[in-house]
This record gives sequence, structure tokens and C-alpha cells, in this order.
Amino acid sequence: MTAVTVAAPSRRMPAAVPVWLRERGMGATVLVAAISAAFGVLLISVTGFLGAWLKADPYIGGGETVAVVVGILSALLVGVAVYVAAIVTANTFATIVAGRTRRIALLRLIGASARSQRAEIARQGLVVGAIGGLVGLLGGTFAAWGLLAIGSRLLGIEVAYTVVQPLLLIPAAIVALTTWAAAWAGSRRVLSVTPLQALSGSVERTHEEVSATRGRTVVAIALFAVGAALLALGIVVGMISPFGVIVAFFGGLASFTGLTLGAVLVMPPLLRLTGRLFGRSVPARLAAENALRYPERSSRMAIGVVMGVALVTMFAVANESVKIVVAASGGGALPADLGQLLDTFAAVMMGLVAVSAVIAAVGLVNLLTIGIVQRRRELGLLRALGLTSAQVRRVVLFEAAHVTVTALVFGLALGVAYGWAAAQSLFGSIPIPPDWASPTFVPPGMPWVPLLVVVVATAVLTLVAAVTPTRLATRAAPVEALAE
Amino acid sequence: MEITSTDLGLAARVQQLTKTYGTGESAVRALDGVTVGIRRGEFTAIMGPSGSGKSTLMHIMAGLDAPTGGRAWIGDTDITGLSDLELTILRRRRVGFVFQSFNLVPTLDALGNILLPFALDGREPSALERSRIDGLIASLGLGPRLTHRPHELSGGQQQRVAIARALATAPDLVFADEPTGNLDSRSGREVLALLAAASREHGQSIAMVTHDPVAAAYADRVLFLGDGRIVADKPAQTAEAISAHMLAAEEVPA
Repeated sequence: MTAVTVAAPSRRMPAAVPVWLRERGMGATVLVAAISAAFGVLLISVTGFLGAWLKADPYIGGGETVAVVVGILSALLVGVAVYVAAIVTANTFATIVAGRTRRIALLRLIGASARSQRAEIARQGLVVGAIGGLVGLLGGTFAAWGLLAIGSRLLGIEVAYTVVQPLLLIPAAIVALTTWAAAWAGSRRVLSVTPLQALSGSVERTHEEVSATRGRTVVAIALFAVGAALLALGIVVGMISPFGVIVAFFGGLASFTGLTLGAVLVMPPLLRLTGRLFGRSVPARLAAENALRYPERSSRMAIGVVMGVALVTMFAVANESVKIVVAASGGGALPADLGQLLDTFAAVMMGLVAVSAVIAAVGLVNLLTIGIVQRRRELGLLRALGLTSAQVRRVVLFEAAHVTVTALVFGLALGVAYGWAAAQSLFGSIPIPPDWASPTFVPPGMPWVPLLVVVVATAVLTLVAAVTPTRLATRAAPVEALAE
Repeated sequence: MEITSTDLGLAARVQQLTKTYGTGESAVRALDGVTVGIRRGEFTAIMGPSGSGKSTLMHIMAGLDAPTGGRAWIGDTDITGLSDLELTILRRRRVGFVFQSFNLVPTLDALGNILLPFALDGREPSALERSRIDGLIASLGLGPRLTHRPHELSGGQQQRVAIARALATAPDLVFADEPTGNLDSRSGREVLALLAAASREHGQSIAMVTHDPVAAAYADRVLFLGDGRIVADKPAQTAEAISAHMLAAEEVPA
């Protein structure tokens, strides 16, 4: 393999592992793939188990329907996790490519074609995805086996269900293939590397141009507008019929897809706004500039976290809003057992979508780390000129906070809107005893405890995300970094 | 009472400086008991072939690296034994740097880079400093380029921004590490003339590390390093004389 001959072999690791696999970022990609594959395996197993249980128990009516609903829900949840994982992976590979520019340029100089270079990176994505998928398959199967064994003992039920089955290969395969595709998508910039870049000591471009094509922009705006309109329509329809929730669901899907596609248009202004909050000190200014240095990278990094925060918030707010709308229609307090049921459902869903948030968090930590590694020389220069290590730490922390604070605020706002729309469109028309009022229209319910958990979790993520990059950034002596 | 650098008219000095990399059999002695002073207000060139220890000497003198033995002063401050934080603040306030390449922070524009030492210190330049900086910007011809980012500047312009930054705080000493290494010869000559002028007209002390005899010919004084020792200390020389000296040094069997 060409890459091996150019890259300097690093110490410690056994020689059997190819050099590129040890590159920073590959490990995180394996982790992301493994989490999403394991999540898929686990959900398939639990869904299958529930289905088998419901079928086996003659006393539970409508078991088949419940099984189908749970199955669809699981597929959606896995879909979201895989989607977030794909964004994270594409971003990681785009960043890896940025770090490899000189090496790619050197290979181009020697005669490698840009296409072959890109195919090589995509192939590395496939390998990494396959490794992650396999790890996830094994881990997920083992976890499912343990969980179901413990679960059935605790619940005192006996169901004939085999955990290990060919179906479990599907999430692993999907993950491997999406990682491949994501690596391909993320390595687009390989095509713009010129052989000359191997020779010149050219200064890095400050702000990468945003490459949002007109077509993508139009689609993003159209999707968002249609989605927002459908959400509103869903709420209106919801005043008459619970089918409003289906309209609202597609509205949510379309509007969020629009936001994700147009992330590069939406996020940089928001990031800039957050940057103002941190003041005008050098660390704050450097961090603010760095967050906008690669608008696409930061936007996608942030949109993953936005998605996680929005989904968790959505279920929390939907739950609270449903309670309010039901109470408003009934004209009294919510029945205790219904409240309990709603809380349990919301908690389970929040836990499940939190997996996507974790994947986004892994991506964030990873990208911040690579970002610091790739800026070693710059940090060395700043240290030489008088940036103290405390200031370096602040730069890194501000940089992490930039993305997390922006994503948190944006995600909370979206989550509240989506959650409220879901509750209102589903229950707005349903009359509840004893008052039987219909239609009912209520403001969004704000469940403070889950929201606080989201805020605290994001704060913790910010600190965790800063640990490794800070260690790397403060470790290097300025002389070493400058000598590179 | 010890004699201070000020008494000696020195901007910086080192005494019996040694620096060893590695240990045991593979140990390399980069500096071998160097004692030398950089005179205040002078433009000093430190010459020597690759591996002569000139970069190591500069790094230690500038507080970027710690010596294995010996002592180093910036002005009257003994910098050996200072903490990382103390050294960082000393570099920020009392030392200027011009490196061979990658001198500027890519995300800051030219003015942001020039004012960086003040910003790092958390302060605005005083009125006096501001007028000094304005003078520098004018004399370096950077006026129309202040809002440009480094990638929008030519190599020579980037070095001029770096010089403005290095001179902005009127530091005890400016260190220039191969400042013309990445430039075409015309831009290189401009940069050298600017450094020489800063020293001659404003009394700025400058120490320049170089292996280029043409660059060293701009200096008031040329120090020759070989195998980690000072092998010669000469007043201003022509490039030819410096070349001849270097060639002669090469021929002497080690």
C-alpha cells in the first residue's frame, strides 16, 4: 500500500496493523461504527424478544400490532443513530484528509491520480466500518444476550427466543456500508489537492470557502419551509383529528433534514453569535476564529450535537405537553397511572435517542482533538510569542464550548418546538373525561428536570471534549512544534 | 556583587552554556560551554553550518528551551530556572521573534498579528506604543495590508508583518531565525535592510541566526559557531569575507 511507504511508522503498536489505521480519527470512527451497530443489534434483539413474548402470551390483546409499532420505532431509532454516525464519520474523514494534504500532494507528485487517492481513503472507510460493525455485532449480541437473560429472570417470564440469528448481521452490514459511503463523501477535498502543495511551504488558508452549492441550498430551504408548514398544518389538523401527528411527523422530518442539509448556512452565524459571548480576550478570539475556520466541519460537528439535544428534549417536552393537553381537556388533574405510563415511555425513548447524542459527542471530541493536532505549529508559535499554557487551555475549552453552547441552545429550541407540535397534533382533538373539552390548545410543557439533565450533560461533554486536546496542546514544547 | 548585563552594555548573555541531547553513548552535545554576550543596540549575526548549535543557542537565549548547564540572561534577568509561566511572560514582554516561516497566526489579520503581544498581555498599546506601531507600519509599507490575513500576503509581506510584531513592544532583544530562508533574494534583501535599519536608527538589539553569508553581511557583528562552541567573533564583514571564513573553517580537520 502506498500510504505505508510514505508515513513514518509509529512506535509501540504491532507492525501487523497498517499505519493508516493508527492515524488519529480512525479509532473514533471504529468506536462510532461499533456503537451504532451494537445499538442496532440490541434493538433488534429486544424487539424480537418482545414480539415473541407478546405472541406467546394469549392474554395480551393486539400483541401483533404492538410488535409492529415497536419494530417500526426501533428501525427509526437505529436509522437516526446511523445517520448521526454517518455525519460524524464524513466529518472525521474530511478532517483526516485535511491533515494528509501534504502526503496526498506528494503521492500526486509521484504520479498517483486524485481519484485513486480518494478511492483509497473510501476503502479505508470500508475497512474501519467493517471492523466497527464486527465489534458492534459481537458487543451488541453479548449485551443483548445478557440483558434478555437478566430481564426475563427479573420479570419472571419464559420465552423461547434465540439471540444469535442471521438478522443481526444487517445493522453491522449497514454500518460498514454507511461508513464506506461517509468516508467517500468526506474525502471530496482530495480532488482539490495539487501536486504543488507538496513543494511549497504555503500558508494554510484561513477560512475554507463554504462549498454549499446553489442546488443544495435551494433544497435545504425548500425542505425546511415545507417542513415548517407541515408542522403548522399538523397542529391545525390535530385540533380535529389525531392524524395531525402524522402530518406533523413528516413536517418534523422534512424541516430537520432541511436544517441538516443547510447546516453550513445556519450554523456559522450562530457560532459567530456564541463567539461574541466569550468576550475579546486572545483565547476567546482565537477560539472563535478557529470555530469558523472550517465552517463545514464545525457546522456538521455542531449539527450532530443539535440532533442529539433536540431528540432528547423533544421526548421530554412532548411528554410534559401531553400531560398538560390531557389535563386541559379533562378539566382536572391527570390520572396518576397515565402520568406514570407517559413518564416511563418518555424516559425509555430519551435513553434510546441519547445513543445518537453519544455518537455525536464522540465525533465532537475526536474532531476537536484532530483540530488541535493539526494546529501544533500554530500553537508552538503562539507559545513562543507569549501564550501561557493556561491560555492554551482556555483556547481549547472555549473552542469546545463554542460548539456545545451553540448546539445546546439551538437543539433545545428545536426540541421544544418539535415536542410541543407532537403533543398538540396528537392530542389536540381528543376529548378527555370528565370535561370532554375539544379542541384544546396549550402552550409547550417545560419539564425542568430532563432539560436540566440535558444542560448538565452538555456542560460535562464540553469539559470531557477539552481534556485530550488540552493535554496534547500543552504538552508540546514550543521549540518542537516550531521545528516541524 | 555580580556584574550585570547592563554594566556590560549587553542585551543578553550566556555563561558556560551546555546543552546535551540524549544520554550515554548516543548523547549529542549541541552546545559545549558557550559564553557570549549580545551587545545592546547592535545587529548580531550568529553563523554556522547545520548542526553547529546556533539554533539551540538562540532557543535557550530566547527562553524557548532550557540548557543542560550554565546560565542565560535577558537584560539583567537570569532566565535559567524561571518557571514556564515566567518564561512565557518574559518572551511576551521582552523578546521579539521573526522565524523562517509560519510566523503569523493564520486566523488573525496583519494588524491582529502585529498587536498580538499586547493582546496576549490583555492590554491595549499605550498612546506612545501606538504611535510607535503606526510608525513601524508606515515604514514597513504595511498600511494597505493591515486587514489582510496571512494567506493573502506574499512571503516578503508576511515577514514584514512579523518584523513589525517583533519590534512593536520595543523588546530587549529581537531574535530572527533564518528570516530570509523562505524568501526570494529581493524580498530577502528588503527584510535584512529593515532589520539593520531598526538596529541602526532605533537602537534595537537584534540577534539573527543564519547560514547565509549574504544575510550575515548586514550585521554589525558576526559570531561563528562550530561544533557547539564560539569559534570566532568578528566585526561587520563583507559576504565574501564571511564565506572565506566559513570555507576555511570547513577545511580545518576536526
